[in-house]
Amino acid sequence: MAVVILLPILFGVLIPLFPFKNRAQMMFYIETVVLVNSLLVLCLLLNRPEQAFVLFRLNGNLSISFQLDGLGTVFAGIVSALWPLATLYAFEYMKHEGHETYFFMFYTITYGITLGIAFSEDIVTMYCFYEMLTLVTLPLIMHTLSREAILASRTYLYYSLGGAAFAFIGMIFILNYGATANFVPGGVLDPAKTAGSENLLLLIYVLCFLGFSVKTAMWPFGAWLPKAGVAPTPVTALLHAVAVVKAGAFTLMRITYYSFGTEFLRGTWAQTVLMVFVIITIVYGCSRALKETHFKRRLAYSTMSNLSYILFGVVLMSPLGLVGALSHMVFHAVMKICSFFCAGAVIYKTGRNYIHELNGLGRKMPRVFVIFAISGFALMGVPGLCGFVSKWNLAKAALASTHPLAVIGVAALLISALLTAIYMLTIVVRAFFPGRDFDYSSLDGIEDPGWMMLLPLVLFVITMFLFGLHSAPLIRAFTQLAAFVK
Amino acid sequence: MEFVQNFPFICIILSLFSGPLSSVLSGKKAKWWNAFVITAIGLMNIAVLAFVVSTGEPYVYRMGHFSAPWGNEIRVGILEAVMAVFFCVTMLLCMLGGIAEREEEIEESKQNLYYIMVNLLLSSLLALIYTNDLFTAYVFVEINTISACGLIMIRQNGRTIVAATRYMIMSLLGSGMLLLGICFLYSITGHLLMSNIQQAVWNLHETGMYQVPLLVAVGLMSVGLAVKSALFPFHGWLPDAYGYSTVSSAAILSSLVSKGYIFLLLKIFYRVIGFEVIKDSKVIHVLFVFGIAGMIIGSIDAIRENSIRRMIAYSSVAQIGYIYMGFGLGTELGVLSSVFHILCHAATKALLFLSASSLTEVSGDSTSFFDLTGAGYRNKAAGLAFTVGSLSMVGFPMLGGFISKILFAQAAVGHAYKMLPTLIALAVSTILNTVYFLKTVIRIYTPMRSEEKKEKQYKLVTMGQQPVKSAALLCFVALNLVLGLFSQPILTLLERGLSMFA
Amino acid sequence: MNAWILLPVILPALSGICLLCSSLRSHLHSSGVDVWNDLKEEERGRLHRFVGIVLVLTAVLALLAAWSGEHEVRLFELMEGIPVYFRIDAVGKMFVTFVTIVWVAVGFYSFLYMKHEGEERRFFGFFLLVYGVLIALDFAGNLVTMYLFYELMTLSSMPLVMHNGSKEAIMAALKYLFYSMCGAYLGLFGIFFLYRCCDTLTFTAGGSLNAALVSGREGTMLIAVMAMLIGFGAKAGMFPLHAWLPTAHPVAPSPASAALSAVIVKSGVLAVVRVVYYMVGTEFLRGTWVQTVWMTLTLLTVFLGSLLAFREPVFKKRLAYSTVSQVSYVLFGLSLLQPQAFTGALLHTVFHAFIKSALFLTAGIIIYQTGKTRVDELRGIGKEMPCMLWCYTFASLGLIGIPPMSGFVSKWYLAQGALQASVGAFRYLGPAVLLASALLTAGYLLPVTINGFLPGKDWKVRSGEENGIQMMLIPLAVLAALTILLGLFPNPLASYIYELAMTVM
Repeated sequence: MAVVILLPILFGVLIPLFPFKNRAQMMFYIETVVLVNSLLVLCLLLNRPEQAFVLFRLNGNLSISFQLDGLGTVFAGIVSALWPLATLYAFEYMKHEGHETYFFMFYTITYGITLGIAFSEDIVTMYCFYEMLTLVTLPLIMHTLSREAILASRTYLYYSLGGAAFAFIGMIFILNYGATANFVPGGVLDPAKTAGSENLLLLIYVLCFLGFSVKTAMWPFGAWLPKAGVAPTPVTALLHAVAVVKAGAFTLMRITYYSFGTEFLRGTWAQTVLMVFVIITIVYGCSRALKETHFKRRLAYSTMSNLSYILFGVVLMSPLGLVGALSHMVFHAVMKICSFFCAGAVIYKTGRNYIHELNGLGRKMPRVFVIFAISGFALMGVPGLCGFVSKWNLAKAALASTHPLAVIGVAALLISALLTAIYMLTIVVRAFFPGRDFDYSSLDGIEDPGWMMLLPLVLFVITMFLFGLHSAPLIRAFTQLAAFVK
Repeated sequence: MEFVQNFPFICIILSLFSGPLSSVLSGKKAKWWNAFVITAIGLMNIAVLAFVVSTGEPYVYRMGHFSAPWGNEIRVGILEAVMAVFFCVTMLLCMLGGIAEREEEIEESKQNLYYIMVNLLLSSLLALIYTNDLFTAYVFVEINTISACGLIMIRQNGRTIVAATRYMIMSLLGSGMLLLGICFLYSITGHLLMSNIQQAVWNLHETGMYQVPLLVAVGLMSVGLAVKSALFPFHGWLPDAYGYSTVSSAAILSSLVSKGYIFLLLKIFYRVIGFEVIKDSKVIHVLFVFGIAGMIIGSIDAIRENSIRRMIAYSSVAQIGYIYMGFGLGTELGVLSSVFHILCHAATKALLFLSASSLTEVSGDSTSFFDLTGAGYRNKAAGLAFTVGSLSMVGFPMLGGFISKILFAQAAVGHAYKMLPTLIALAVSTILNTVYFLKTVIRIYTPMRSEEKKEKQYKLVTMGQQPVKSAALLCFVALNLVLGLFSQPILTLLERGLSMFA
Repeated sequence: MNAWILLPVILPALSGICLLCSSLRSHLHSSGVDVWNDLKEEERGRLHRFVGIVLVLTAVLALLAAWSGEHEVRLFELMEGIPVYFRIDAVGKMFVTFVTIVWVAVGFYSFLYMKHEGEERRFFGFFLLVYGVLIALDFAGNLVTMYLFYELMTLSSMPLVMHNGSKEAIMAALKYLFYSMCGAYLGLFGIFFLYRCCDTLTFTAGGSLNAALVSGREGTMLIAVMAMLIGFGAKAGMFPLHAWLPTAHPVAPSPASAALSAVIVKSGVLAVVRVVYYMVGTEFLRGTWVQTVWMTLTLLTVFLGSLLAFREPVFKKRLAYSTVSQVSYVLFGLSLLQPQAFTGALLHTVFHAFIKSALFLTAGIIIYQTGKTRVDELRGIGKEMPCMLWCYTFASLGLIGIPPMSGFVSKWYLAQGALQASVGAFRYLGPAVLLASALLTAGYLLPVTINGFLPGKDWKVRSGEENGIQMMLIPLAVLAALTILLGLFPNPLASYIYELAMTVM
């Protein structure tokens, strides 16, 4: 198991040292490494090993150890399925950026570290890899080394490490008040130790949640995400729509369901406070997206809002809630990476970053914009695509919950869906219907990108339809996974 | 008695006499002799450590064959041996790392003076570590002060002289208070030998006599040593002293000198007064509060600094605050965390100073941040080393800082009312550390704009050009990693050492 | 399995998509060419033949599917326990029929009309696509399937509104989108609640609300139903979410306006019918505050719509306000929860479809031939195009409710139903408002006829305007004829609907 984590890290580090003859060779090498790793992960997921694996011991009771359970499978599955496609896309895209060796080195290492988070057996391992994730994605944000990029990376760093500092406190408490540091379905808090300090533990839980939630851009700690839009699109797409932010959501699932435990947390003031934050973020993210004129930043705000859908499911602290959260985690990853890749294709081919510059491009890049429209429909929740399924499951969970704020959450989800419809479809309308007197000759020379960018996009569309129309097996698997939640 | 048991005494005498010896040697020869001495001492201390670990018991060594209470004693246990080994290793690496600077910055004629000072410093540190007699401790504290002063002043320019003077004044103030405290203690207990004093103090504590004088004595000694080790609010001298002296001086001062005083304070708490008595007195609460204040305010001041050396110096203030906070928690685990942090901080701070000096070297010798832009590309080894050091300060996993953070946090949990302040302070301090350290890391990896590059024409340095310094940097990085990844054996040793310390 | 009934859905949908792809492809390879008028005559001829064949074929298949028995098709499961399910019941049959008639008529009309608008491939592409979606919507057998096609219908009809590409049109389309989506999401909100509290999401005559699950939560359930009524009512132009209609319908090309006003708004009606009569059940709603509010809103819309139509000088916008008003007649009838009112409502659904499409087609012909858009410009139009204006007159009489036109029958049933329903003051208020509205309707529709045929002494006559537009006149005449026919022989339809009403109440 450690192989799949260490492989990309090791080979990634070797990238700048290898004497590649030309660019094509380097691309081939990287793609092979990533693909092989994904296949290995797939094998692992299919033959799930029962034993945990200890990499080494840090300290008396602290060790870096891995294990594979249902939740980890889901996250690892998303990551390893999307990484090869994203790498393929990045090859085409980075032609236009430069400094590729270091970029791909850090990109590949990130893969390994994300898997490390997915496979963590206990909270210490997860925390360590979490911090490493921040560090290794930093050079990726900083890539263009422009002033904007430097500032964005600084913001990212402060917020992330700051959040981790508070999450650290949570970790310490689990170590001291829990029977074990491992992730156990249902939580590890030892009732004997916690008796009498419930309120303190709830406070620590809230702090821990807020700390880890920085990576999921929850209000008010989300300001780094739109700024990070300055990074090259493969980074924003894969990392900030899929890997990094979903890692944040994953850690929150772990601490809520596997460390602190929902029995302890449900119905407490902690749940209410966090639900308020989550609901605010859902609406805030969408409202900011509506006002935003920069293409990628708009999508970043959309991510902020959608991540809080996942957190809404987590905070409901029920089996249905976990199912809803997991389904949105998987589906949103596909939808958002598709949207970002479309945006990236547009930027790559035309250099235009702002939405008001996109007039009429639908005619010149029809494939990209049609795919973008489909991803917009999916995000909106049109039935037949995967977004509807996850919204349905979240609403189902919310209405089954006894928490008073749950219904408000559903209303927030629908308001957000409405706003999503507007901010996604206005782009599509602009692209295809620019106005009667639009001068098309200004768009001469623009065309759809090559197969390396289109293939991932097409695959994503197929996936969205697949999950939209045939989600039952997946949802059943999630329900089984979540059966332990009481 | 084994031959090995003589080693501590031999070490002290050796370094003490190396001082005058260096004065007659030329600069170059003094350098090599110095290196040789430190290595030899280091090896001897390792032998001692091995010995004490194998026997599992501390032993007492009488100097001059006069038994107590007239003669002088050295007590050697695991903790002391570990400290001594560590200090030697650090000092050696600091000296090696700073060779090039020394040759540039110090005048030819004064170079062997430098080595005299270093040797004296080493001897006094060892003495502080091993001694079992309070008055001897005081004497070597003074020697320590003077040699440290010399180290600061060796690079003669206006700033260092001011810094040295300030240091001198504050230090002597501290020493004065220490002396007063010792006198009080002597007058109420009648002993100067630590183990004996402990017995007497325990009796006093039980009977309740001389409460106030005891408290005053403890307070004076604590404050005195706190001043000397730059605890908030007595840290004013530190940034100047560390900021303007030579690189190896700064490294040695920050890593070793202040830690020597802290170790002495620890010894006083454990062996002279006794841990139980200390816990009952309110001194540790004061130390706790000042420790936390130091953590936060030191970091805040660091953020505002514009020179990289002074920033690192303020960071030392913050880190010393951590150590005092650990003491202030008043538990075994708290003290263990502090001791581990002493080791960790020594390794990291020296690393930071050395790499910072390399970075300034390729930036036209300017320490301002603006000039340091892009330095990481001009000297790759130094950039990497600085990054590792910064990450350790922030408490990044896999490095030493993370382990000490965990230890502090675990020590705090369960404490009735000190827990939340400690944890919040740790979190806030991490954030503040991130701000100024990692901002600098980003800055050194931000490339310069091309017009500026042509204008400044900074030189590039590779590892091959400075083999010794690079080797020193790499050793420190390795040390940090070892502390981060393989801390368990070290912690076990320290625990055992603490248990036999009293 | 009766999967063949899905042919009338798939055929137009796929044809529409093919047309869109070919439209995009042709634009990709052109540059600097006027994209609006790029069809050569043979190409246009091919296009018309293709669309014509598809329309007729689909119509035949759809009617066949609808009237050859109660078929049902269960496709895959969209989600756990919720399949995509089609079942053709009495309501669906009726809707499919009038949709088909209107669609074929408008389709043939638009062959000539769109020559004047341009971008024909795109128009017909979406036109066919919407047709397919509408049929699927009418065939839908459970709530989620219906919602699926409801959303798809909004999305695919939006480009029809935006067709002429002016800023105004785009803004109107976005407004349409916003209001429709708002309504759809309000509907979805209710659907979540129904999922929890109903035995099944399949449409069951009389409703499938589970009393046990609802008990204790009636208040929330009522709010959810109200949300659904307002939400689905948005598509039908009910106050308060009606503001999109007067903006969107006029700005679309006339065939599209006809389709929108006549047919697409009726899908909102369909949704309301399904929710109230086939999901929640009238028992739950009768006598509650929801019914009262609903009736109030519909009557308000009826009156307001007519009033605004009366004062509106732009012809198509006047017709749009008229739609707002008329469709709320239907909703009022539904809100009474009474068999006769129900009959009147559904009758009016069908009649209004034929009438309104005829009216909009008239407006289209006027614009095509003369370019005039305002009512006060239409003096003497009857002298120029008498045939057209006669059709217009018959249709208007139908709308006002003058016997023997069809509109009279539906209004009669509505009034009867209102007087017999047990709804307090609304028994009298309803018919009163209907009467007032009828007067206003006369006021806003008849002046065109009067000024058209009797322009006054100083009017210069231009004749011969009606040459060459037979293609457009024939569909118009068919629709007008239907209005008269159904007015003269309403019984088959009326008794069909009345039987249906008895099964759901």
